[in-house]
Amino acid sequence: MEKIRKNKWLIKLVVKANLSTKSKLVENLLSAEKKYLPKDKTEANAKNVLKCALCPNMCRFDCPVLKAEKSEALSPSGKTRVAHLLETGKLGYCKETVNIFYRDVDCDACKQWCPFGFSVGDLSIGIKRDIAKRGQAPPALVAIKEKIVEQHTIYPERITSLDLNLKKTKADVLFFAGCTTLNKRKENAIATTKILEATGVDFAVLEEEWCCGYPLHALGFQKEFQAFAERNLRAIRETRCKTVVCSCPSCAYMIKKIYPSGGYEVKHSSEFFWELIRNNKLSLNGVDGEFVFHDPCVLSRKLEVYEEPRQILRSIPKIVVKEAYSNRKKTQCCGRGGGLGIVDPALSLQLAKNRVQQLKEASTSVITACPSCELALKEADETIEVMDLSEIILAALKNDGRKAREES
Amino acid sequence: MPSEIDQSKGSKTESEKNNIFQRLRSAIGSENVSTQEVDRVSYSRDYWPITFRWLLEGKVFTMPDFVCWPASTKEVSDIVKIANEEKVPITPFGEGSGVLGGAIPIDGGIIIDLKRMNKISEINDQNLTVTAQAGINLTILETELDRKGYTMGHFPQSFYCSSLGGNLSTRAAGELSTKYGKIDDIVISLEAVLPQGEIIKSKTVPKSSTGPAVERLLLGAEGTLGIITEATLKIWPKPEKTVLKSYSFENVQDGLDVVRNILRKGLFPAVIRLYDALETERQFYQFSQAKNRCMLILVMEGSEELVKAEEKTVETLCKDHAVDSGEEPARHWLEIRFNVKEAADFAPKDVIFDTIEVSVTWDKSMNLYNSMISAMKKVNGVFYVSAHASHFYPQGVCFYFTFAGVPVKAKPEEFYGKVWDAAMKATIDAGGSISHHHGIGIMRGKWLGIELGESMETLKKIKHALDPENIMNPGKMGLQLGENKKE
Repeated sequence: MEKIRKNKWLIKLVVKANLSTKSKLVENLLSAEKKYLPKDKTEANAKNVLKCALCPNMCRFDCPVLKAEKSEALSPSGKTRVAHLLETGKLGYCKETVNIFYRDVDCDACKQWCPFGFSVGDLSIGIKRDIAKRGQAPPALVAIKEKIVEQHTIYPERITSLDLNLKKTKADVLFFAGCTTLNKRKENAIATTKILEATGVDFAVLEEEWCCGYPLHALGFQKEFQAFAERNLRAIRETRCKTVVCSCPSCAYMIKKIYPSGGYEVKHSSEFFWELIRNNKLSLNGVDGEFVFHDPCVLSRKLEVYEEPRQILRSIPKIVVKEAYSNRKKTQCCGRGGGLGIVDPALSLQLAKNRVQQLKEASTSVITACPSCELALKEADETIEVMDLSEIILAALKNDGRKAREES
Repeated sequence: MPSEIDQSKGSKTESEKNNIFQRLRSAIGSENVSTQEVDRVSYSRDYWPITFRWLLEGKVFTMPDFVCWPASTKEVSDIVKIANEEKVPITPFGEGSGVLGGAIPIDGGIIIDLKRMNKISEINDQNLTVTAQAGINLTILETELDRKGYTMGHFPQSFYCSSLGGNLSTRAAGELSTKYGKIDDIVISLEAVLPQGEIIKSKTVPKSSTGPAVERLLLGAEGTLGIITEATLKIWPKPEKTVLKSYSFENVQDGLDVVRNILRKGLFPAVIRLYDALETERQFYQFSQAKNRCMLILVMEGSEELVKAEEKTVETLCKDHAVDSGEEPARHWLEIRFNVKEAADFAPKDVIFDTIEVSVTWDKSMNLYNSMISAMKKVNGVFYVSAHASHFYPQGVCFYFTFAGVPVKAKPEEFYGKVWDAAMKATIDAGGSISHHHGIGIMRGKWLGIELGESMETLKKIKHALDPENIMNPGKMGLQLGENKKE
């Protein structure tokens, strides 16, 4: 109905137009588009790729990759313009044409400005699936895919278990730490379990956690991703949990929005912690210090969680929390999204440095809520302090901010 | 799969191209020059609607041979010197949002992308100026100003996707221009590289009486007379107060009369936009009080006292001629003002949409509006023509026309050309100027001579004197194309 109201002017004009115009217009509206779309079925949403390609690139000012790289081929619509030519067979697949789609942080900055609500990261995933199907994916990424498939995590440490000796396989709450947390920021997982224990939450962890599959998904390895999703879904269901709590926003996003529904709720730990505080199950003591909160882009944009972390921080007495100029959904990516940390570590580091510079204008002590962001920001600047939200909560529980980190 | 893309134009042999490539690499660093096909394809077009057809049909009509990303004015100058010696054309490139083909490398050669030149060197509070390099994106520039409590007041519809240099080179206008002025009013001084590599820089002073302002030749020259590399521009403290108002009028004439009288009082509301009935129906269909009427949108901002005075005058002048529609339509416009959806929605359906902006003095304004609408409607296949007046002056107005149509028994490019020809001829006949703020590029090239008359010959003489090898953005603005191609 709204669509008719909105297009009433057009309908009236079509009715009024002369016969030759009218018949041409109706013919074009009904049938012109298909001659410009790929003949064969594609994984990419070819219609939306073309729409994006026909935009003046209105989101370009906010694209972190373009801001760092200054190249039209890496601009949001620049990518979909090349994609349209590739998908319709007008431009050949080669190393250079393929590579542009992997230089992406899947941060959804573009989506905020798009009148169609497109995310070039999402559109690119379809394009990367087509590239993978043709066997044109960059060899280095194929090797990484194989490694993930073999060891169930991308990390050489190969840790896939929190090893808590809980001896419990079923509980209302399943804590899914995620492989970045397990392998690189175990402190966050331990802090989280301590908070859960302190508040008497009935929780379990998986005996063996496989990667949520985000890198496989983002890089277009769909078949392998599906195997990971199915395995994790089955394992999660076996715990009979009502809620899955994730430390990593990407895991939460995958399990909540990309996996098929499993009959449970999925929450990022910041949402779960805020619920505990709001329901008076968790009360926090004061923490001294001045911090800035960095919004992870998956958390703030894909999951639209940005007030909960702030509400948690506001409930900690004495703490001073400042805002970066770019905050909440207007945050800027740490550079590790979309697998860019693997694809192009130098560019990824540059993006992290750009973000650190913005954060430092507010404070050199950063709190965030994503293990990948934490690693990226730390790598970009050794002089800043970066903590996970779980660590600051644990510190507030113990009333000793600095000591908490040492203990965990 | 073999590439179906046409190879680039130009007459250089592979070995000559390789020599130029090496020279460019040693001038600005090998990582800052590309000859990769993916880059050449990506710099083959701008946002001229003809390029939508190229994309749809998978054709690339022209490509640069080299894409360069210089980091300084000196590096731009070095590239320009090489291009002169090697007789290779240069097309300057900012963000590629131009709608008339001005940034298309029609004769191949070198693209100079200015995006690495994006630094803000000074925001001067006492002088109220900002100095920035030409490659900076407008939103990024305005955001930096906003963080520090200022605004430049320049918000064209391409605010998100255009560069400072591109705006200066086309003499662009922002939506708040009735108060803050166009970019050519906002700029105070600039630095530029001329076609033989000379670097000129004008003084930053509020006004001078030192002969003709030579540097202003670069404004609106669309890169044909050199490349603007840096500019100092006026800024203002962020407005204390903003008031939104909307009124609807029975017809365009009544609305124009009221706006003319507001400006006669010496008041300059930042945004004034008057939509004809058809465009009101398209843009403001939600507001029933505007049905079959003409919507006027006003955004008044600045100091409390000034805004109060503007608001009072507007209310008084509108009272007897218009229906007060409150804040909502103006708020709606603020929300959708950067949504550019028409091309993406309609181009794949072979419906051709475009916009044409022209300017005219008050006494000829209604005649121009009526004759443009009627001229475009006469082209077979056109089913929609509307306009809004988007920028106002005590002396006159800018009309912004939108047309849509389907090519009936004609190729899309042919149909498109016919509508444009009808519009340009009607503008000239009605005593208007063929462009208010989009510029000339390729599309308006053939009309510029008629617009300028004898001044076109002067422009050609200036071009020849500054650019004897004709390397700077050849084939644009009605100027000749390549070294071997005479008009």
